[in-house]
Amino acid sequence: MTNAEFSKLAAAYAKEAGCENCETFYANGESFEVNANGGEIDRYSVSREAGVSVRVSYQGRDGYAYTERIEEPEKLVDHAIDNAKCIETDDLHPMQGKSEYRTIDRRPSALAPLSEQERIALAKRMEEVALAEDPRVKRVVYCTVAYEAGRVAIENTRGLNAAKESDVSYTYVMPSVQDGDEVQTGFAFRMGANAADVEGCAKEAVADALNKLGAKPVESGEYRVLFRPYAICDLLTAFSPMLSADEAQKGCSLLAGKEGQSVASGLVTITDDPFDAIAPRAFDGEGTPSVKKPVVENGTLRTLLHNLKTAAKAGVESTGNASRISAASTVGVAPTVLRIEPGEKSPEALVAEMKDGLIIVELEGLHAGVDTISGDFSLKAAGLLVKDGAIARPVSGITVAGNFISLMKNVSAIGNDLKYALPTGGYFASPSLVVAKLSVAGS
Amino acid sequence: MIDESTARAILSEAQKSGADYAELFLEDRENNLAEMLDGKVESANYTRICGAGVRVLKGTLSAYAYSADTSKQALLDTARAAAAALGEAKFSPGGSVAFSMKRYGTKVERAFDAIGNADRVRLMREAALAARGVSDEVTQIHVRYGDSTQRVTIVSTDGVFAFDERPRTRLFVRAVAMKNGEAQTGFEGPGCCRGFEAYRDSIDAAETGRIAAEMAVTMLHAPECPAGYLPVVIDGGFGGVIFHEACGHSLEATSVGRNNSVFCGKLNTKIAADCVSAVDDGTMPGEWGSINIDDEGTPGQRNVLIENGILKGYLIDKLGSRRMGMPITGSSRRQGYMFAPTSRMTNTFICEGTDSEEEMIATMGEGLFARKMGGGSVNPPTGEFNFSVAEGYWVKNGKIVSPVRGATLIGKGSEVLKLIDRVGPKMWMSQGMCGSLSGSVPTNVGQPRIRVSGMTIGGKGGAIE
Repeated sequence: MTNAEFSKLAAAYAKEAGCENCETFYANGESFEVNANGGEIDRYSVSREAGVSVRVSYQGRDGYAYTERIEEPEKLVDHAIDNAKCIETDDLHPMQGKSEYRTIDRRPSALAPLSEQERIALAKRMEEVALAEDPRVKRVVYCTVAYEAGRVAIENTRGLNAAKESDVSYTYVMPSVQDGDEVQTGFAFRMGANAADVEGCAKEAVADALNKLGAKPVESGEYRVLFRPYAICDLLTAFSPMLSADEAQKGCSLLAGKEGQSVASGLVTITDDPFDAIAPRAFDGEGTPSVKKPVVENGTLRTLLHNLKTAAKAGVESTGNASRISAASTVGVAPTVLRIEPGEKSPEALVAEMKDGLIIVELEGLHAGVDTISGDFSLKAAGLLVKDGAIARPVSGITVAGNFISLMKNVSAIGNDLKYALPTGGYFASPSLVVAKLSVAGS
Repeated sequence: MIDESTARAILSEAQKSGADYAELFLEDRENNLAEMLDGKVESANYTRICGAGVRVLKGTLSAYAYSADTSKQALLDTARAAAAALGEAKFSPGGSVAFSMKRYGTKVERAFDAIGNADRVRLMREAALAARGVSDEVTQIHVRYGDSTQRVTIVSTDGVFAFDERPRTRLFVRAVAMKNGEAQTGFEGPGCCRGFEAYRDSIDAAETGRIAAEMAVTMLHAPECPAGYLPVVIDGGFGGVIFHEACGHSLEATSVGRNNSVFCGKLNTKIAADCVSAVDDGTMPGEWGSINIDDEGTPGQRNVLIENGILKGYLIDKLGSRRMGMPITGSSRRQGYMFAPTSRMTNTFICEGTDSEEEMIATMGEGLFARKMGGGSVNPPTGEFNFSVAEGYWVKNGKIVSPVRGATLIGKGSEVLKLIDRVGPKMWMSQGMCGSLSGSVPTNVGQPRIRVSGMTIGGKGGAIE
């Protein structure tokens, strides 16, 4: 059964069964991933995926059901109606009607035109370069080249008919270096238009690992801290639920009701930009046209992120931030491309200005050491000690602890080095940020 | 269920580029997930995951292809895609595999497709009401209920032709307590590998809600944890996450077989204190991490990892077995057909010891009692780990003086194992989802109450008086 047939049958059956509306969300895609190890292919995966979700509106309530067996639409609609019947909240979740969309100028990412053999060769080349870069490189832990392409089609009985395509290319490598008894790992990645730059990626990862050799903790205390872009991206990723109107309406965000108030240093502007060239999209997870907007402007919270449901509850317009983590999941709220806007200063100038302090290069344990409700975090970190405005030595075995809102309020300088993190579900970008003080636990 | 001749045709297609092993994994899985917020059902979803994966091995080379389409034509295409990674399709595999057909499955009294949403909602409401009753400071209660029935067929050129049915269910409560703009969270999430009868027999919904709410309220009144290097007592149950993260992952063939583990070449050598023994046991009836067979079709096993401080074994899948030259251990798992299987944990725990739970706190001086852990992560090549303490108490002069919030524990697995100086007499387990190369799989972590003589405690608080 084709998707179009499935949608049509589902819609007709849903009407007959008493649903006000019915929507199908169809997604399919292909993926390719190869990992090189010891000059050979060591993990290799290719796939074809497809699935369809039905969402019905039954007596004002939403019910969902999803299947990867594209057959028997009636059964799936019955499951969805069953689920709608047990919903007890009175919140309305309108479906998007027929909409006009901006044309997206999307260029296929770097690995799209390459054959599987060429992608395999890139992975092998990346490992080769990493191993040859320095005698202390012993092996690669990961050395991966990946490409994914996908299509989404949303149709409903209110006249919505939206379709889009996306693709993503990325490569990443983690070399392991050894000096005496000490082992360190480094990491680097490339994505989008730069995804085929495996040599640059390998060299950067080796440099990252070598820079950590000899790392040791610093004394516990309060430090002036410069966060490198990827470290801030990690924090932003972890704490982005605070910006969700859904979380706010559930009482799970300290930013609830703070629109128009100061929530960060006046230097901080955060944009939600669905048209950012890294991953442009014309509409969100429920077919609402995309909107670019400042979320935090010069430190002031301008808006939380809404889908149609949270917007209806708050009496505002959707900000085009409906998300479907996958076709199998229900409609939620998420940023599109969330970007902390860069400042004027080079990262070198920021280091020189901070005189004494700590550079945090990477954070670990993001899925465990953060509390998105309180904003608190306590995370293992690695970085560099700065003395008299110059990098003195590598640092590891420390934890940094604080609160994300306090950290944003304490931003005292912003770099011009905007970087996009490797996407883990969403896209996040940031330059280096300097904060006046942060608690560090070390030796 | 796929018939023998179709399965044979697919494996044969997969071996055409010279693979010496081919395996077909078919999955049909139904999930029900419902969420309740503040006593009202907020969302309900049904998902049916169907697809197949074909894996080929040639020596230690491996390739995997999968597809949501399980028609014979699509399966043949998938087999071809996997084979293509190993080279040209110019071999015709000789001989005919003799399949050993086996049917496994966990018996249930109340199957998930035979209960209705009303049963699920009643259970969630019970948990929510109990949490609500704990304190006025509890401002939000989020209850998640999930059940799943996974039906798999695994066929391989090793002669495996196995069918397995795997029911699982879990109730998860997250409670938030708030005061003066400050918020703290508590959670509890029991689960098991049984039918819905589990909520009559082994899981108490009300107790689950109460534990989550009490934890949130306790932490709301807790000062920040001080930082330092001090003794730490880690309680049983989810405290076992320390071993799971810091050692368990480093004992998986995924790490060991690639020389990415600190425990490489350490078999039969001392890696832990004498009082430490540890086991990974996939055979415990009804437990969350238990398996009838692993995802290569090998029956689950009880694997001794450490015995009185001596390293006794690793967790090994078929590919790992080839890399390491050691036998498989029934440890190959995957989230579903979208993942190639690899070595994973099941129910992993430190075994019971003989030390008194009270004495180990009374004699610790100043330090941290980590009653409940949060999650964590580990870097296998270096063995460095970190994890958060979800519910902690500060100990001074051998007495608990105050709850503390925001603590993390960091260190190296190989070092901490040697610093364990007390192991209590009663072991219990907690449920978790473990993420790794082959996706997210249900695992149990467990241990008795133990003491580590010194660990780095991260936190931002001042001295506790």
